[in-house]
Amino acid sequence: MDVSNIPLLSLLKDRMAWLSQRQDVLSQNVANADTPGYAARDLKPVDFEQALRNVTSSSNSAGALMTDDPRHMALRPQSGDGATADFPSNSTGNSVSLEDEMIKVSETQAQFQAATNLYAKAISMMKTAIGKTGM
Amino acid sequence: MDFSTSMSVAASGMRAQSERMKVISENIANANSTAATTGGDPYRRQISTIKSEFDRQLGATVVAVGKPLPDTSEFRSQYDPGNPTADKQGYVKLPNVNNLVEIMDMREAQRSYEADLTVMDATKTMMARTVDLLNK
Repeated sequence: MDVSNIPLLSLLKDRMAWLSQRQDVLSQNVANADTPGYAARDLKPVDFEQALRNVTSSSNSAGALMTDDPRHMALRPQSGDGATADFPSNSTGNSVSLEDEMIKVSETQAQFQAATNLYAKAISMMKTAIGKTGM
Repeated sequence: MDFSTSMSVAASGMRAQSERMKVISENIANANSTAATTGGDPYRRQISTIKSEFDRQLGATVVAVGKPLPDTSEFRSQYDPGNPTADKQGYVKLPNVNNLVEIMDMREAQRSYEADLTVMDATKTMMARTVDLLNK
């Protein structure tokens, strides 16, 4: 059995991929904070609780995670389906709010940290199970 | 789509802001540059242009710096009959630079640059976290 097919690890891997993609979208927003006519974008939130329930309730492997939920993220955020405009655009038609983006960036960072910590913990638990001292 | 994309996008934003700072510093430095010859025009204020551009290679929207455009507003004029570049009425044309406006622009560029730096910092931390998994 492949390590990456373990449900919890594959879920965390997807989570990290999503967060990394979100960071990508946020960095585009911040970089274009002064570009006239630029509309702020964000990824659609993925219901990870639901995804976790799917993983824990079925013995299905990681592959199912990608497609079984219609709310899973779009492959390309550029398609505009995740576009949000929390703040009205200013006189140049730019709707990026730097404060908002900064909050989202630190949020993404914290969630990513949580995911990597969980991943490390899961690995160390597995090491404990196979009889080696974790960490 | 990975962390290096985020870094590149943030870097493109920083590049655009530093280019903007260059134009602003030109304006401030030349705020009193009069014409070299009598009847000529003094320094004309430049406005930096920024536009977003889809980078196919990165697969992300980066920032592109356009050519600075001249500000078409009126020149200031000051009564200074002793000045060799003064016209018949004794007025000297001064650049259409308003230092207050430039300083406002400068602050804005500074804030945007800092925001880009923060994004880069956060991305770097996330990257380091991932690499740290190797130690576990």
